[in-house]
Amino acid sequence: MRIGRSQRFDQARPFVALGIAVAAWFAAPTAFKAAVRASFFEMTAPVAAAASYANDLQRFWALRLHSKDELIEAGRDMARLNASYTLSVQQNGELESEIARLQALLKMPPIEGFHFEHSRVVRRDFSSWWQRMVIRKGSDYGIPVGAPVVYSGGVVGRVAEVHAYTSVVQLTSDPGLRIAAVVDGDTRPISYQGGDNQVFGAPRGIIEFVPLDVYASATVPKRLATSGLGGVYPPGLTIGRITHVESSADGLFKTGEVELDPRISELTEVTVLVRDNPG
Amino acid sequence: MRGAATLFLTLYLLHTLVAEVNSTLSGFHVWLFAGGLFVTYSALAMPFRQGFAASLLGGLLCDAVSPVAFGTHAVLFGAAHAVVFNLRERLQRDETLVRVVVALLVNIALFLALALMRVKPAHLGAGAWPRLLSDLAWSEAVVALVAPWFFALQLRSLELARAKPWRLA
Repeated sequence: MRIGRSQRFDQARPFVALGIAVAAWFAAPTAFKAAVRASFFEMTAPVAAAASYANDLQRFWALRLHSKDELIEAGRDMARLNASYTLSVQQNGELESEIARLQALLKMPPIEGFHFEHSRVVRRDFSSWWQRMVIRKGSDYGIPVGAPVVYSGGVVGRVAEVHAYTSVVQLTSDPGLRIAAVVDGDTRPISYQGGDNQVFGAPRGIIEFVPLDVYASATVPKRLATSGLGGVYPPGLTIGRITHVESSADGLFKTGEVELDPRISELTEVTVLVRDNPG
Repeated sequence: MRGAATLFLTLYLLHTLVAEVNSTLSGFHVWLFAGGLFVTYSALAMPFRQGFAASLLGGLLCDAVSPVAFGTHAVLFGAAHAVVFNLRERLQRDETLVRVVVALLVNIALFLALALMRVKPAHLGAGAWPRLLSDLAWSEAVVALVAPWFFALQLRSLELARAKPWRLA
C-alpha cells in the first residue's frame, strides 16, 4: 500500500513541480517579471546584432566584387538623383517658409516636427500571429515607444518595444496593428488593420468603415495613406493599395482588402521618426 | 545545476539559429517553430530538476522575444516536460528515432496550444489556419531533420561540461 502511494506521488511529482512553478510565477511582482523579460531579451540582442553586422560585412565584400564600369554607372545615376533631390530640397525650403508665414498670419500652432533616425534591420520575425522586426537602435539613440517607422515606400509600422541597443517594430502587416487611414483624395477617416499573411503571398491588410461611395478593385486600385489622426503617424504616408471593397454586413459601410508593398518583408534599413518636441 | 546551464546554452544556440532562419525566410512568409526541441532531450534524458529548469529557461527565452504574456512559452514547455517525463519510462528513450518522434509530437502539441491561445488576441480569422498549418508542416520537417544533430550536440555539450546523466554514461 505504501509502495503504491509512493509510486503515485512519483508520477504526480512533475505536475506538482509545474504547479508550484506556475503559482510562484503568478505570485511574483510585475516589476520582477518585467526585469526578467528585459534581461532575457538583452541576452539575445548581442548575438542578433553580431549576425546583422556580419551580414553587412558580407554585403560589403559582395559589393567589392562589382566591376569599375558598374560603379561608374551607379555613380552617374546617383549624380542625377542628387541633382533632382537638391532641387526638391530648395523647393521644400521655400514651401516651409511659406507655411511658416501663413501659420504666423493665421496664428496657428506650429506643425510638429520630426527628426530621422536611420537604422539597419537586425532580424525579422513574421509568424501568423505577429509581424515584427528588430532594428539596431534603441534607447541609446533616444528612440521612443510608439514612434512611427517608415521607408521609401511608406509606413513600415511603429516602435513597440525599446531596449538598450535595439528596438522592436510592429509592422503594418501585423494583425494587431491598427491605423487611422484615408483613401487618396478623400478626407474621411477609415480603419486599417494588418491581415492574414499567406505563405508565398504578398503581405495584406484589411480596412473597415469605408464610406459607401468609395470604389476600388485589383485593376483600379486606390492608394491608402495615413490620416494623421491619432497623433502617431504624420498624414499622407502610403500604407498600401486598396484592391477590393465590398459592403459590410450592416450595409452602413464597406470593408476591403489592402495589398502592402512586398518590399516590407525584405527591408534591410528603415527610418524612425522621432518627435522634436515629445509630449 | 551544471547540466541545466549546459542545456540552456544549447537551447540559446538553437533559438538563435531558428531566429536567423526565420529572418531569412520572412520574404516567403514561412515561419518555423521548434518548441519540441526545447523540451524533448531534457525531459527524456535528464534528471527531473535539471531538465525542468532547462525547459523553463528555454521557455522564458522564447517569451522574451515574442509579444505574448511573459511566461506563456515557459508554462507550455513546463507542461510538455512534465508529460514527457511521466511517460519516459514506457519509451525506448535512448533510441534516437524515439526521441525524434517525441520531439515531433511535442512540437505539434505546443504549436497548436500556442495557436489556440494566440488566435483570439491576434484578431485572426478562419483565413489564418491555412498559414498556421503550412507553418506547422514546415516546422515538423525541419524538426525531423535537425533533431538528431541537436540531440547529439546536447549530449556532447553535457559530456564536455561533465554533467552527463548516469544512465547515458
